[in-house]
Amino acid sequence: MGEVKLKRRDFLKLGGITCLASALIAPLNNLVPFTSFAEAAESEAKYTVTKKIPQVCARACECDCAYNVVVGVDTATGIERGITIEGRPEDPVSRGKYCVKALGFVDSMYNPDRLLVAMKRTNPKRGVDQDPGWVVVSSEEALNEIIEKMKKYKPEEMVFCSPGDPYTNRLCRSLGVRRSDQRTECFGTHYYLNSLMITNPPNKYYSSTYTVTHSLWGFDYSKTKYMLWFGFDSFSKCSKAGILNHIVEGKRNGTKIVGFNPLRTPIADGIIDEWYPIKPGTDLAVALAMIKIMIDEKLYHEDFVKNYTDSVSLIDADKKLHITDSDGKWMAWCTKHNRMEPIDSCDAPALDGGPYTVTVDGKEVQAIPVLQLLQENVKECTAQWAAEISDVPADVITRVTKEFAAAAPNVCIPNLKRDAAGPNYANSWRLMHAINVLHALTGSLDHDGGVLFLHDVKIPWLEDVDPPAKPYPELPDKAPDYRHEFPVTEEIYQKKDFSAPGHYGMIGYGLYKTDMTKVVVFKGPHRGLAALIQPQMVEKALEKMDLVWDWDLYLDDIVYWCDYVLPAPHQFEEGKLDIRQYYPKYPCLVGGEPVQKPPGDCIGWGAIAKKIGFAMAPEYWTTDGSSDPEKIIPGNVNDAALKAVGAAESTEEFMKEKNGIWIDKKPYENYRTIREIGFGRPNGRVRLYIDEFVKVSHEPLPKWADRWTTPDGEYKFSLLVTRAPWHMHADPNFINNKALNVLSENNYIDCVWISPNAAKELGLKEGDSVTVETNPQYMKDLPRPVKSKVHITERIARDDCILLFHGIGHRSKWLKHGRWGYRDGDLIPQKDPNVAKEHDPTGMGWVEDVYVRVVKA
Amino acid sequence: MGDYAILLDTRFCTGCNTCFYKCVQENRLHESAENGFTRTMVFIKDRGLYHHRCMHCEEPSCEATCPSGAFHKTPEGIVLYNNEPCLGCKSCVVACPFNVPYWNQKKKEIVKCTMCAHRVLKGEQPACVEACPTDALEFGPYQDITEKAKQIAADNNLHIYGLEENGGTSVIILTKEDPLVIGYADVPKKVTKARGPKTVVGAAAVAALAYAGIKKYSERRAEIEGLNKGKDNK
Repeated sequence: MGEVKLKRRDFLKLGGITCLASALIAPLNNLVPFTSFAEAAESEAKYTVTKKIPQVCARACECDCAYNVVVGVDTATGIERGITIEGRPEDPVSRGKYCVKALGFVDSMYNPDRLLVAMKRTNPKRGVDQDPGWVVVSSEEALNEIIEKMKKYKPEEMVFCSPGDPYTNRLCRSLGVRRSDQRTECFGTHYYLNSLMITNPPNKYYSSTYTVTHSLWGFDYSKTKYMLWFGFDSFSKCSKAGILNHIVEGKRNGTKIVGFNPLRTPIADGIIDEWYPIKPGTDLAVALAMIKIMIDEKLYHEDFVKNYTDSVSLIDADKKLHITDSDGKWMAWCTKHNRMEPIDSCDAPALDGGPYTVTVDGKEVQAIPVLQLLQENVKECTAQWAAEISDVPADVITRVTKEFAAAAPNVCIPNLKRDAAGPNYANSWRLMHAINVLHALTGSLDHDGGVLFLHDVKIPWLEDVDPPAKPYPELPDKAPDYRHEFPVTEEIYQKKDFSAPGHYGMIGYGLYKTDMTKVVVFKGPHRGLAALIQPQMVEKALEKMDLVWDWDLYLDDIVYWCDYVLPAPHQFEEGKLDIRQYYPKYPCLVGGEPVQKPPGDCIGWGAIAKKIGFAMAPEYWTTDGSSDPEKIIPGNVNDAALKAVGAAESTEEFMKEKNGIWIDKKPYENYRTIREIGFGRPNGRVRLYIDEFVKVSHEPLPKWADRWTTPDGEYKFSLLVTRAPWHMHADPNFINNKALNVLSENNYIDCVWISPNAAKELGLKEGDSVTVETNPQYMKDLPRPVKSKVHITERIARDDCILLFHGIGHRSKWLKHGRWGYRDGDLIPQKDPNVAKEHDPTGMGWVEDVYVRVVKA
Repeated sequence: MGDYAILLDTRFCTGCNTCFYKCVQENRLHESAENGFTRTMVFIKDRGLYHHRCMHCEEPSCEATCPSGAFHKTPEGIVLYNNEPCLGCKSCVVACPFNVPYWNQKKKEIVKCTMCAHRVLKGEQPACVEACPTDALEFGPYQDITEKAKQIAADNNLHIYGLEENGGTSVIILTKEDPLVIGYADVPKKVTKARGPKTVVGAAAVAALAYAGIKKYSERRAEIEGLNKGKDNK
């Protein structure tokens, strides 16, 4: 082939074309995508909205945010379904916000692993390695069989593992059966201290809803000037939209926040002003030092302390109980008349001094005011003393105390769920006591800008609208969770508030160590085995039970020991009525409607309770005490609640005409509700000195005590537990969500977290496998060390701690995406009731009061 | 600059990832997310929170490098991706200085934020902004957002990220700690020159022209030498 010659003219043409083409590239670039943008799929919505259904979040946390579930047609599939969430700005709690868990709930309605039919076991052998041999039965058939079996057992042989919702309460009381519930681990300590100091149940506002928080108050985050957080900023708080929207408003308005937490959360990064990596389990020392400073330097709110607390009440120095008159009213020492007088009529009561000699029932008694005793209790608790225990500098404790006092009464120490004052340590109840004392000293209880009390609204108990025709039977003397060995909590449970949290911290121990129980009922959903303390003991105990059944959304781990599992509706498949317990500044009721009908054979808990109750104790489930099925109680507490406040005549009217919200935005009346619900009504007060504790040989006023466990050789890491912001308890609605699992993996939720220094000392690198083991001294039965990868992070701010995430580690083969991670519950120390009684009159969980060792696997 | 921008004040971000999941629901990206491809995600790092999301650069490197015009910066400030012309060459993945685009091999598409163009065009906020429980995310006119960012940063001694990086972006991030320490990409404050097929094509065109030029010169020289030889031989 001959060579091709390039003529000059051709070369010039080629050059010219090349230059022209280069110059035209830019506009040509735009030309193609501009056309495609107009058609681009990304400029089109991926769904069409068909309706918005008002709902109230009932299962993600106790904020109970009100929002709308957006239902629409998914463009890709053409199917109408729940799509996402939209806020309801009129809700005073959420103010138009919602969280990742609410979003997760929408998709969980369609989780393919949802249980839609009742299951019955055919293989009698129980255990995680056994195939239950499930057969599908109708829910009605399953319930009928359950009832026939339950009829064969005495009340003392049965226990309900369930929160104290209205229907469970009615059922347990009518059957005379004990109840134990998981809320011990969320609210037990808070609840009992609040009950013993302030709310004194029953009272006119305390109500039981389907999400009982056991708290009569919220915190005025947006208006408060100063907050102290004792572990309040857990990871789980990172998504609590119902409080975060208020907290950030306060923050933007200049609220100062001081936090104590060995873990540095993202909230500590930006929202907390001063953060101190406190030694776990020592927050009590800081709180006691603060009390001392406030009393010694008279920084307390004198008017509130004198008139709204028992600080001026006289205590019998010998009996160590409140001195009362014949009407049971507290007495004070009058500094004007130099004599003992009733507290409400004394115009110059002594806050300190004594002992004063008084006559009680004809006998001479030495009497001391409560505040004087409190001052004596904390006399050793200097800031320096607290600093040595807690690692919080003494000058910080002193300065923060003064700043806190100066900002009173617009201050608060919020405490919810698994904070330091929760059921984490044997001394946590003391911290809760001290926190309430600090609130009282600042006058922030029941005050705008401080601690807000629920008032002027109530959702009644079933007993209020459908009173039983005759008194309920007595409960069995003994409880499988040892509650009967704790008179303080037993009395409240039996005589004052049947919804009070049970001793879930010891139900596993009790079921394992005793033979009294033959029938165990788990009212899931979402709790199950992964939420239990000492799951190993529970598993072993359940093997020997005659009957175990569960009501649940999924076939989770617990079902390996169940004879029947009844399918529960999703929370969005139920109507709701809720008070605003997390922000009770205004009396308010919000309602929700079902997004869809419960699919399959799902059956509501109310229907289950009514059927069992009527079958086994019909006299308590009919309006006239008969066995006439036509007379079954209607149980309509919602209509009664709405009528009482004039919101509507019925739930239907409330949702249709009032858009599911009623709110009375009147100004908050400071200190009014204390008078109505406190101790010593009608002039109710806050009680700092707790007589009940004296009766069980515990301190009636806050006093220092260390944790139960101490480091021991290799067992030197304090166990911290939290949960991912996008998880709720052990709930498969989130754990079984593959997209959320990707998120979890990217954020090391499936790992044990450890500090860089501690990791270095152990020779660990990022991602190494480790075994975490509880000191055998506190894990004598069925130890089950936890295996995991490790994540090395500065967020573990102390070298003597490790962090585990709660709620993961499911094993059920019916959770396609839920079987990942480890189980923190396997590490919680075992304690028998005698040990518990020695340290804690409320007998709570102590779920983090243990030291573990970490070994490279 | 485009019309709109997003301001992220990480002081108020708690790492809850409501934005992540809202994005998944709004854009029906469940399958993608389940396979690890997300348009936005918050990573809880040691020294702060790292938001992985498209920065919607003023001069997008992805757009500059894409040989098929699959990216486009709209007047609203949004960098959009169109799957149709996409060749799957992944040069955008390489070119993006913020390491944003994910390539979903299964669906054969790039995954990155669209700033919810379908909402913005209707006058709504991006879904992530609406969903943020703490209002850490804010959406508005570019001018307002950048002025606010500068003011907040000055008042609170914060770092600003995204204002100048890669020549400026439409996502302005405020951090307490140095963003590079947190984990944000170290991006020069000038447009990153595109290196990819577009440049290659350009280079090829120049090379072709140079080849032609040299060839022409060589032929002309040979022709002249030939003519000169002819003259000498006469």
